[in-house]
Amino acid sequence: MSDIVLLTSIIFTPTIGSIVLLLFHPKSEESMKNWGLFVTAVTFVLTLFLLKDFDSTQAGMQFTSTIPWIPHWGVNYQLGVDGISLPLVLLTSLISMLAMMASWSITKQVKGYLMLFLLLETGMLGVFMALDFFLFYVFWEVMLLPMYFLIGIWGGPRKEYAAIKFFLYTLVGGVLMFIAMLMFYFGSADSSQGILPTFDLLRLAEIGQGLVPGVTFSPTVQSIAFVLLFIGFAIKLPSLPFHTWLPDAHVEAPTPISMILAGVLLKMGGYGILRIAFPLCPYGAQWGAYALVLIGVVSILYGAFAAMAQTDFKRLVAYSSVSHMGYVLVGMAVWTIGADGVTVGRDYWVQGMNAAMFQMLGHGISSAGMFFIVGVIYDRVHHRDLNKFGGLAGLMPLYTGFAAGLFFAGLGLPGLCGFIGEVFVTLSAWNYSKLLAVFVASGVILTAGYILWTIQRVFFGPEYKGPHPEALTQMNGREIAIASVLLFFAVVLGVFPNTMFSLMGASMEQLVSAMDIGYQNAVQTVNDIQTTMLK
Amino acid sequence: MLLADASVSSLGNTLAILLGIACLLPLCGFLIEIFAGYWSDRLSKTPALMAVGCIGGGFACSLLALILWGNATCWTALKADEHGAAHHSVRDDSAETQLALADEELHADEHSSAGADDHHAFHPEVEHHVASEEGHDDHAAEGLVPAHAVFSGTIYRLAKFGNLDITVDYYIDSLTLVMFVMVTFIATCIHIFAIGYMSEELTHEYVDHAVHMSDGHHLHRPGRFYRFFAYMSLFCFSMLGLVYSGSIFLVFVFWELVGICSYLLIGFYVERKSANVAANKAFIMNRVGDFGFLIGLMILWTSFGTFRFAEEIDDHGQAHAGLFHMVRGDKGLMRVSSETGDVVMWGEHEETLLDENDQPRTIPYYLLVIAGLGIFAGCVGKSAQFPLQTWLPDAMEGPTPVSALVHSATMVAAGVYLAGRFFPMFTTDVLLVIAYTGCITLFVAATIAIVATDIKRVLAYSTISQLGYMMLAIGVGGWGAGLFHLITHAFFKSLMFLASGSVIFGCHHEQEMPKMGGLWRKMPITALTMLVGVIAIAGLAIPVTIMGARIAFSGYHSKDAIVATALAFTEANSMHFLLFLTPLVTAGITAFYMFRLWFYTFAGDPRDKHVYDHAHETPKVMTIPLLVLSLFAAGCAIGGEEGVLYRLLSNSEPVGVAAGRMSGAGGISLPSHEAIHLVHAQAGTWALIVAVLGAFLAYVFYGARWVNPTEVGQSFPRLYRFLVEKWQFDALYDAMFVRPVRIIAGWFVVFDRVVLDGFLHAAASSVVHISKWDRRFDESIIDGFVNLMASVTFGIGRSFKKVQTGMLRQYITFIALGVLALFVLMLSFFPN
Repeated sequence: MSDIVLLTSIIFTPTIGSIVLLLFHPKSEESMKNWGLFVTAVTFVLTLFLLKDFDSTQAGMQFTSTIPWIPHWGVNYQLGVDGISLPLVLLTSLISMLAMMASWSITKQVKGYLMLFLLLETGMLGVFMALDFFLFYVFWEVMLLPMYFLIGIWGGPRKEYAAIKFFLYTLVGGVLMFIAMLMFYFGSADSSQGILPTFDLLRLAEIGQGLVPGVTFSPTVQSIAFVLLFIGFAIKLPSLPFHTWLPDAHVEAPTPISMILAGVLLKMGGYGILRIAFPLCPYGAQWGAYALVLIGVVSILYGAFAAMAQTDFKRLVAYSSVSHMGYVLVGMAVWTIGADGVTVGRDYWVQGMNAAMFQMLGHGISSAGMFFIVGVIYDRVHHRDLNKFGGLAGLMPLYTGFAAGLFFAGLGLPGLCGFIGEVFVTLSAWNYSKLLAVFVASGVILTAGYILWTIQRVFFGPEYKGPHPEALTQMNGREIAIASVLLFFAVVLGVFPNTMFSLMGASMEQLVSAMDIGYQNAVQTVNDIQTTMLK
Repeated sequence: MLLADASVSSLGNTLAILLGIACLLPLCGFLIEIFAGYWSDRLSKTPALMAVGCIGGGFACSLLALILWGNATCWTALKADEHGAAHHSVRDDSAETQLALADEELHADEHSSAGADDHHAFHPEVEHHVASEEGHDDHAAEGLVPAHAVFSGTIYRLAKFGNLDITVDYYIDSLTLVMFVMVTFIATCIHIFAIGYMSEELTHEYVDHAVHMSDGHHLHRPGRFYRFFAYMSLFCFSMLGLVYSGSIFLVFVFWELVGICSYLLIGFYVERKSANVAANKAFIMNRVGDFGFLIGLMILWTSFGTFRFAEEIDDHGQAHAGLFHMVRGDKGLMRVSSETGDVVMWGEHEETLLDENDQPRTIPYYLLVIAGLGIFAGCVGKSAQFPLQTWLPDAMEGPTPVSALVHSATMVAAGVYLAGRFFPMFTTDVLLVIAYTGCITLFVAATIAIVATDIKRVLAYSTISQLGYMMLAIGVGGWGAGLFHLITHAFFKSLMFLASGSVIFGCHHEQEMPKMGGLWRKMPITALTMLVGVIAIAGLAIPVTIMGARIAFSGYHSKDAIVATALAFTEANSMHFLLFLTPLVTAGITAFYMFRLWFYTFAGDPRDKHVYDHAHETPKVMTIPLLVLSLFAAGCAIGGEEGVLYRLLSNSEPVGVAAGRMSGAGGISLPSHEAIHLVHAQAGTWALIVAVLGAFLAYVFYGARWVNPTEVGQSFPRLYRFLVEKWQFDALYDAMFVRPVRIIAGWFVVFDRVVLDGFLHAAASSVVHISKWDRRFDESIIDGFVNLMASVTFGIGRSFKKVQTGMLRQYITFIALGVLALFVLMLSFFPN
C-alpha cells in the first residue's frame, strides 16, 4: 500500500463510515452502533499497519506524501508521521474505538451522534498527520464543530452553556493560530529573491531555525508568533488560566465524548506546541520557557487543589486533567540556556521533552479510563455527587478493582502509566529551576490526597448512600472489555515505557537539536544586527 | 583470571536468577489469586495455599542463593580470621598512588588524610570491604569469590535520553541475601499463621461486627479470604523487589508499591471508616516523605547522571562508576575541594571524574547534604520516624498478620534498610540528623507505649521506638549495629505481633488489655512465645559469658551493639551525649512497657470474666509458626557480633565504616569499630541494668500489682492525657496541614468560579451588551439615518407627486417654460 493511500484511508475511513450511516434505518440503533464500532476498529487496525512499517531509528517524517490542493496559495494536501505523531495517532484510534464501545449508553438520535463521532475522529487523525499548516488548521476546525454538537445535543442539563463555552474558547485559540499562520505564510516569502510563500510545516520549521538562506523569522516575529500559538494551544491543553471550559465541557459531555476529550483532544495542545510552536519559533520557545514552566507548575498545583474541593465526580477528574497536563508543559519547556548562550544539561531537556510526550500518552489512557469509570456509575445511578456514593467496593467489586487500577494510574503509582511521565518530568525539572522543581515534586502529595479521598468516598464505607441503589449492577461484558483494555495499556506503558520512548526517541532528539540550532542562529542574527548598528 | 571472572559472573547470574524468581513468584501468585479467587468459591483455601507456596518457594530460592553464595565464597564470611590481614593485603597500588595524587590536589575534608592513612595501616579490613564488582578483585584469581563482592547487572531498560540511561538493575551482596532470607522466612510463617487467623473470612456471609449499617444491623458481606492472600503476595513481591533493586530509582518504584500494598492491607476492611481513614493517612504521610525522596532523586539525577548503586557497563562496553563509588571512591573517602567546597567525584578507576569540558565533575557539598536529607525523608515516612510517625499506630486497623509482616517486620524496616544501603551517600551532617531523628522517635514512641492499652498499639509504638533505635545506630555510624537490629527485630516483633494476633483471635477480637489478664492458663503456647519475644526486645540476658558472648536472646545482642556505638560516638562527640543517654533510658522504658504488656495480658487474675471464659488457645496452624519464630527470635543472633548473622551482614558494610570517619564538616567524628569494641562491655552492662529495672517496675505495677497504675496515672493527669493523646501530633497536623489544604482547595475553586469564570462571564455579557448597543445604534442611528434619507427622498418624491397631475396641458406648459428658461440661461451665459 502506498503511503498516501494508507494515511488517507486512516483519516477518511471514519468519514466514509459516517456517510454509509446515512443508509441505515434510523430505528436500527444496534446495527448502527455495531457499524460505528466496526469502522473505528478498522481505523485502529490501519494505524497498526502504520506502526508495523514505521522505522523508529529514523528521526524524520515517514510515509510522507504531497498532493497540491490549492496551488495558487501553495496549499498542499501533505501528510506524514514521525515519532512524535505516531504514538498520538495510535492513541487516537485506540481511544476512539473504546469510546465507541462506550457509546452503547447513547439512546438519543443515534444516527446523528455516530456520524458526528466519526467525523470527529477524522478531524483528530488529520490534525496529527497534517504537515501543511493550512491543512492542519482545516482539520483543527473540522474537529471543533462535531464536538460542539456532541456536547450541545447529547450533553447534560447545562449542555448549551458548556458547548458554547467550549466552542468560543477553542475558536479564540483557532483565530490566534490563524494569525500566526498568516505571519509565517507571508514571512516565508521573499519576492525579491523569488521565494514563494508556503504552508509546508517542515519548510517553515527550517526557516524558523534559520536554515534557509534568504528568509528568516526574526526573533521578534518568533516571539509574537510563539505567544499567539502558545495561547491557542494552551487553551486546548488546557493550562491555567485558560482551563475553565474544561470542567464544564466534561461535566456536560456524555461519557464517550469525555473520554475522547480527555484522552485525545487535550493532547492536541501539547502536540501543537511540539509540532508547530517549538520548531517554527525556537527563539520564541526559549524566550518563553520560564513562563511555560511556571504556567505548568501552577497548573499542576492549582488543578490538584481544585480537584480536592470538588463534589462532582466528573468535575474532579476534569481538574485532575488540568493538573496532569501541567506536567506536559513543564517537561517540554525545561530548556536551560547558560550564560554563554549554550544549552546546559541538554540530556535533561531531552528527557523532559520525551517525558512530556509520554505523559500525554499516559494521561490519554488513564484519564480516558477515569472518565469511563465515572460513566459506568453514572449510567446506573444517574448522579455524580461524591458525597452520595460509598460502599461500592462491596457492591461492585470488579468495578472497584478496575477503578482502583485506573485511578492509581492517575495517581502516578509505579508500574502504571502515570508514574513514568510524572516522575521523569519531575526529574528533568531540577536542571532548569530548583525552586520550580520542588513545587513540581510537591504535586505527588496533593495528587495522592485527592485521588485517595475520592476512592474513599466512592468505594469505601459500609453502604451506598445515594439514590437508585437497586440499579447498582455488575459491569457488563462490554464495560469489562473497555476497562481491561485501558488497564492493560496502563500496565504495559508503566512497566515497559521504553516501548514508547524508543518509538519517539529519535524524532525528539532531532527536534531538540533543531531547536537548539535554531535558537543559536536566531541569537546570531540579533548579534549581527547589533554589530551593524554599532558600526 | 578469565576463568575466575567467568565463575564470578556466573555466580552473579545464578544469584540474580534465583532471587529474581523469589521476587516474581509472589507476583504470579498475586495475579492468579486475585483473578481466580474472584471467580471461584469463597470457601476455598486454595488461594492461601498458593500464597504460602509462592512465598515458601521464594524462601527456598533465597536460601539456596545464600548457600550457593556461601559455598562460592568458601564461607569466608563466617570465619573468625576474616578480619585478618593475610589475604586481603593485595590491593593494587596504583589506586594508592592515585589517591595520593588526588590528595595533593584536593584536601579530603571528610577525613584528615593523614588520619585516614593511619587507619589504613592499622585496619586492613578497610580494603577488605571494597565493593568489587563482577570480579575485578584479585581473589577471583584464586577461584574464590570474595565475600564482600557485589553482583550487579541490568535486566532491561526503561528509557535512555542521550547519555542518561534509566534501567532496571539488581544489586546483590550479603545484605541483600540476608534480607531476602529473612523476609521470605518471616513472610512464610506469617502466611501460614494467617490461614488460621483469616479463616473467619472463609464464608459467603461474613458478619463484620465493627460496622453498623443505617438499619442498625451489622454488615454482612461475602468473605474475602482470597483477597487477603492476594494482597499479601503482592506485598511480598514489592518488598523483595525493593531489596533486589540496584538503583535508587528502582528502590523508589518499589517503595511506592509497598506503600500501596500497605494501603490496601490497612484498608482491608473497606467498610470500616476507621480502616480506610487509616489507610489514606498511611499513604499520604508516606507521600510526604516521598516528596523529600523525590527531591533527593532530582538532585542525584542532575548531579550524577545515574541512579545505580554499582558500576554499569554501557552499550559500548565502557564501565561507569555507580553512585557510591563516585562519592566515596575505593577507600570510602569523600573528597571536598578546598577551593570551592564542592565534593569531587571519583571515576571508575580512582581517577577524578571529568565532565565534557575536562573539568572535574563536582557536586556542591550542600546539595549532597540536601539530597541525603531528601532520601532520608523518604525513610522517615516509611519507617514512621518523627515527625511522620503518626500513621503507624493507626495502621493497626489492618488484620493482625498484616501488622506483623508489613507494619513491623519488613516494610517499615525498609526505611532503615535504605538508610543502610544508601549510607555511603550520607555526609556526617546528614548522619547527625538521622541520629537525632531516631533519638527523638525512640523516646516519644516509648513514652506513648507506656499508657497505650490496645495490645496492638503497644506493639506499634514499640515498633516505632525500635525503628528509632536502628536509625540512631546508623546515624552514629553503627552501620552493622543498625542492620543487625533490623534483622533481629524483624524476628521478635513478627513473633510478638503474631502472638498478639493469637490472643486477639483467641479472645474473639478483643484488643483491650484492661479486659484481659491471666490468659496464660488458657493459651500457654501463646503466652510462652510472647514471653520469648518480650525478653528478646527488652534485652534481658544472663550476665554469664560463654565463648565470649553473653547468653541472651537476639534483641540483647543487637541493642547492645547500638548502645555501645552510641556510647563510643558520645565519647568522641561529647556535646551529643543525649544520643547515648536517651537510648539507654529508653531501654528501661522498653523493658517496662513490654513486660507491662505481658503481665497485663497473661498474668494475674482475669479482669473480664466474659472474655476470659471464652478465650481459647489457637489452632496448630497458628501456634506452630509462633513456635518456629520464637526459636529464631531467641537464637538468630547467637554469638552477638561474633555470630553468624552479624558476620554475614558486615560483609556488606560500606567501605570506611570500620575505620570511622575522623572529622566531618560539622566537626563530628564517627567511632571506629575499635572504639566501639572498647566500650562494648561497659555499655552492655548499663543497658542490662536499666532493662532489668524496667522489667522489675513492670512486675511491681502489673505482675504483682503492688501499686495500682491507674492511681499513678491520676496523680499526673496532664502528663497522662498528653501521652494518651500521643503528644497531640494528630491534632497538630490536622490544624497545620489538613485544614489549610482544604481551605486553599476551596479558595481555588472559588477563584475558578468567581474570578476566571467571572471574567469570562463578564466578557461574555459585555459582548452581549455591546451587541445590544450595537443593535440600538444600528436601529436608531444607522437605520435612522437610512430611514431619514428614505423618508426625505420619499417626502421629496411625494411633493413632486403633486406636480405629476397627468394633465397634458400642464406638462406642455412646463416644457415650454423650461425651454424658455434654458434659452434665457444660454443667452445670458454665452453671449457671443
